[in-house]
Amino acid sequence: MAEQNGTSRREFLKRSALFGCGALAASQLDVARALIARAEAGELTPAELYQLNRLENTLYTVCLNCNTGCGIKVKVVDGVAVKIDGNPYNPWTLHPHLPMTADLAAAAKLDGGICPKGQAGHQGAYDPYRIRKVLKRAGKRGENKWTSVPFHQAVDEIVSGGKLFAHVRGEENRVVTGLKEVCALRDPKVFAEMGDDVAKIRKKKMTVDEFKAKHAANLHLLIDPDHPDFGPKNNQFVYFWGRKKGGRSEFAKRFVDAFGTANAHGHTTVCQGSLYFACKALSEQYGGDGFKDGQKFYWQADTENAEYILFVGSNLFDANYGPPNRSPRMTQRLVDGALKITVVDPRFSKLASRAPGSWVPVKPGTDAAFAMGMTRWIFENKRFDAKYLANANKAAAVADKESTWSNGPWLVKLGKDGEPGGFLRASEIGLRPAELRTDKDGKETSYEFLVVLRDGKPVAFDPNDEKEAVEGALFIDTELPSERGPVKVKSSLQIMREVAAEKTIAQYAEICGIEPNIIEKVAREFTSHGKKVAVDVHRGPAQHTNGFYNISSLMNLNLLVGNFDWTGGMIAASTWNVDGTKTDAQPFSLKKLTPKYPKAFGLSVIRHDAKYDESTIFKGYPAKRNWWPLSSDVYEEILPSIQDAYPYPVKVVYSYMAAATYSLPAGHTNIQALQDLERVPLYFANDITVGPTSLYADYVFPDLHYLERWEMQGSHPNMPVKVQPVRNPVIASPNEVVKVFGEEQPISYEALWLALADRLGLAGFGKDGLAPGQDLTRPDDFYVRLTANVATDGKQPVADASDEELRVFLASRRHLPKNVFDAARWERISGPAWRKVVTVLTRGGRFDTQESSYKGDQVANKYGKLINLYQEKTAKAKDAFTGKHYFGLARYVPIADTLDRDTKALEAGYDLHLITNRDVRMTKSRTITQPYLTEHMPENAILINARDAKRLGLRNGQRVKVVSATNPEGVWDLGNGNKKPMIGKVAVIEGIRPGVITFSLGHGMWGAGATDIVLDGMLYKAAEKRQGGVHANAAMWIDPHLKNTCLIDKVGGSVSFYDTRVKLLLVNT
Amino acid sequence: MQKDILFTMHEDLERALKKPPEKRRWAMLLDVRKCIGCHACTIACVSENKLPPKLYYRPVYDYERGKYPNVSRTFLPRPCMQCDKPPCVAACPVKGKDGATWKETTGIGAGTVPVNYKKCIGCGKCVPACPYGARTLDPGTYHSDGTPELQKYETMPSYEYLATWPRAGKNLPVGNARKCHFCVHRLANGMLPQCITSCLGRIGYFGDESDPESLIAKVKKASRIQILKARAGTAPRVYYVANEKLEVIYG
Repeated sequence: MAEQNGTSRREFLKRSALFGCGALAASQLDVARALIARAEAGELTPAELYQLNRLENTLYTVCLNCNTGCGIKVKVVDGVAVKIDGNPYNPWTLHPHLPMTADLAAAAKLDGGICPKGQAGHQGAYDPYRIRKVLKRAGKRGENKWTSVPFHQAVDEIVSGGKLFAHVRGEENRVVTGLKEVCALRDPKVFAEMGDDVAKIRKKKMTVDEFKAKHAANLHLLIDPDHPDFGPKNNQFVYFWGRKKGGRSEFAKRFVDAFGTANAHGHTTVCQGSLYFACKALSEQYGGDGFKDGQKFYWQADTENAEYILFVGSNLFDANYGPPNRSPRMTQRLVDGALKITVVDPRFSKLASRAPGSWVPVKPGTDAAFAMGMTRWIFENKRFDAKYLANANKAAAVADKESTWSNGPWLVKLGKDGEPGGFLRASEIGLRPAELRTDKDGKETSYEFLVVLRDGKPVAFDPNDEKEAVEGALFIDTELPSERGPVKVKSSLQIMREVAAEKTIAQYAEICGIEPNIIEKVAREFTSHGKKVAVDVHRGPAQHTNGFYNISSLMNLNLLVGNFDWTGGMIAASTWNVDGTKTDAQPFSLKKLTPKYPKAFGLSVIRHDAKYDESTIFKGYPAKRNWWPLSSDVYEEILPSIQDAYPYPVKVVYSYMAAATYSLPAGHTNIQALQDLERVPLYFANDITVGPTSLYADYVFPDLHYLERWEMQGSHPNMPVKVQPVRNPVIASPNEVVKVFGEEQPISYEALWLALADRLGLAGFGKDGLAPGQDLTRPDDFYVRLTANVATDGKQPVADASDEELRVFLASRRHLPKNVFDAARWERISGPAWRKVVTVLTRGGRFDTQESSYKGDQVANKYGKLINLYQEKTAKAKDAFTGKHYFGLARYVPIADTLDRDTKALEAGYDLHLITNRDVRMTKSRTITQPYLTEHMPENAILINARDAKRLGLRNGQRVKVVSATNPEGVWDLGNGNKKPMIGKVAVIEGIRPGVITFSLGHGMWGAGATDIVLDGMLYKAAEKRQGGVHANAAMWIDPHLKNTCLIDKVGGSVSFYDTRVKLLLVNT
Repeated sequence: MQKDILFTMHEDLERALKKPPEKRRWAMLLDVRKCIGCHACTIACVSENKLPPKLYYRPVYDYERGKYPNVSRTFLPRPCMQCDKPPCVAACPVKGKDGATWKETTGIGAGTVPVNYKKCIGCGKCVPACPYGARTLDPGTYHSDGTPELQKYETMPSYEYLATWPRAGKNLPVGNARKCHFCVHRLANGMLPQCITSCLGRIGYFGDESDPESLIAKVKKASRIQILKARAGTAPRVYYVANEKLEVIYG
């Protein structure tokens, strides 16, 4: 086929001209001349012709089209990203992956596998609707009329405030408070003293009057002097974000800390907050008086080694941080029978479809009933790991070659009605007095010992004792004598057994809507493979009003078999450290490179880490809105709380990569909040398009696309390999280039923080911002240093890049402008770590080897700590609506509103249970811009079982409107009289539980090119390809008590995604 | 630790490329028991071969069967079968080795059914002739149609058939019949076909089936093989492994 070779001399020259970086060596020049001659003659070899496997055209970074964050290999020709494949150095896309030592040339030819979203990633960068300059609202909020304004003008306006929108009718005289005025409290000493005294007010050790007298000179700096616990005016700046990973998190934290606001909130609860916060409760560690240091994280199965996995609400062939990384670890093993699975899901997912007979279609929201039924069966049939559960402390665990242990045998004190409270302290029964200990911060604390019963006698112990092994009896229900009379106690396991026995297996099965023998069958299978089993959960069970208890009960099953840290059991994520605080070999400790900012104080606007009854606005129960002692980043609380001015009014709101209006259930409530000029006086957003939420902003700042920027992606719990994928710029940005701190750079998330810090005069930014001689004036100042930290973490750093690797590194970045990539600058920043930085960046991150990820029968990267079966901290926290303590142990709880009322009134007249799902081709709000995806999936559908369709007289392809009790009109009220009906097409299937309907997320979009936009007086019509399908979140129930927020899990923070009942109305077209 | 099959097939490919073309037999085997229906192959192929909107060389069909709760679902990827008896070639009016399409016998693409874009007259006769629907005429559309601006990545060349095909105006292959070619341009560079290397379920096997040491030969030998539309007598080079009888659901 040589005669078909179509490369012309001109084309070849055009592409070749840039190959060399700088001057070509003479020998290379000869080669180049020869190539040109042969190109003219049409004699190029395939290797010379094909551009997509050239070392110099291959860059490694990390995808962010969803948060799986797969390693990608971006193929760049003439500076244009033309193709994206998987990074073979990254364990997400090749299993096992190439070691870091593998040759770059070999890797360039070996493509790893990534999903269709990843394949389409460059279309997100090359999106005609991307914004490149700062946009300022030219009409009302949400009208989508904009004027482009100079970057520094926008920054000045946001900082200074004033009559910023006098050009908009109705806002002629509206004066906006700028950030300068909000950043009121600046004196670190006053900051610290007021913060300490607010803590005293909470603990009733100081009255508000005493506080006012003491701080009379500074009361004007507070939001409300009568409520000092609201904190300083600084808290009236609220920053929230959607998807933000490592690196950018540290960057933002620097600004937030310097500014001194308590209001920086993530989006966790819209994804699976109750999974994170239940696992935080499971991971709280006993510190001598109470529990602390729980991790906001979770565990997943070691997919590649498990023999049996019970997946609950997991959909990992479509989503769930799974398709590229978990599929290759499963599919062959499923075919071979080496891995068996059960899939509990109302919908016949692709996962269920790969394992015939695995599907258990439970009713949505009954996950805990399933788990508690299993728990009961496991207790009754003694199928738990008694040896594991007897271990009360670390020494006992280690003696059994276990790295984790539970509090199963620990004794819990009972209240007067027999309700479980806190763990019994040894001093309470005169067994062993508390002792004085010095904690790691040098603070002296009183350490209380805990108690188990062994051979009928109480034994005091320290759970972290590594020397004296303490085991306890598993099932205890007794009274122990004390000076104050007998103390009623039960062991954690005893309580768990009793709770599980509250219902029969048949009753549990009835709640789930399944046959009782299924629970028994699954429980038997789960306890038939030793430690090589796992209960792997994801979003499904978490996103209900009972999410926290669903997750706790499912995770507790893992504790019953003691599978944590075992090969084939439950594992946790492990990453190379970013901030330089892990080892002395890391050159850039952020701790040392950050000024000592005062600690923000006062309530956050979402009231997290705070107790209602300790606040100055305590007015009995129920509280107006929820308080969150156990959870944070409660996304659905941010804008509605601001709208309610509860606990206080705010002045300035900033959102980054956030689409709360689209992503949240009943997201239209957030649109209402954003249109409230009084309660949200100033709102600016950072986004790459005018998206479904930034459309309601006053200013939109363009961000960089993920192919143009930095981030530290981190890992997910199903990944046994220690990793740190490093996102780094592989293409130039189209954004306007501006000067910040004297440095040219495209407008970015970082540029905005920097410019704001500059205008506000915040410490820690600009010249000498990190340290004398170490500036913070551009993104790379920060991220090159973090990359050096990643490269030097661990016992051994990565190897230095060879000369050839350095050449490839430079040559493959020849198309990047100096304001993005400046090798000399990066080398200067890195210092001696420079060649190691190059090694990491030429591989798209740092990845340990597959071999070193396991050690014998266990994973190498262990969790290695106590895991709580009974949750003391949960039991001690109070419900802000009832004033009662939360229950401290997993159990089945029915779906309810915030006041614990059932949902029957909302259900009446609505016959279908609405759930949602993800399709691998879409991520909620960010993939609609990519035509490879929208052409393949022009619209989603409302999936309905054939029985329901028959009953309702619905046929495939008919269009229906989704309506519910809290949205009887079935519309998205987008504001300004613009209503978007929730109409989609019906797809009649068998693979869904009758009575349940679902739609996939990502379609039914507004903004992001799906809506007409007027910019500088020009109308840009929407793209039809972005308008397909339906998004039915607005049908999801609004909580009857909160009134402007969806139903919530008041313990774990999750939004309710899967509890609403709807009906479908046929639309005549 | 076993290697990723992508890695093993990559090694197989390097070995095969050292053989004389007439001694090797490119073939593809798809174990649909492992297919998770992710469509990565479909979209990766679009991106690699610069396919216009809605033109797919390798669609994945989705079949649901049974009645609740006894449901099954089959995902069936359908590349060009590179038939040894290709009906599309018979239907093409531009005949011969120097024609628009033929069964290749020499060179890197030996065994495939290529299209010579410079010879194809775009008559479309081959399209209905293919029993698998593996051929489509390129309508000359762009992914950014209907938006304010054409994007540069769309105009960059594809490398099909070891040539460069920048996309602009009526440039070839606009108007031509287009089809899967086992990514001959990648094979020539020691790279697996795009659909194989993008496969998340690792269902795809590709290589020289005449090499008994190759993974595809071993898997083929160990499995019960099916072909699509056996009665059409096309002698496909694409084999399937499935629990279900594919002729029942596909024909």
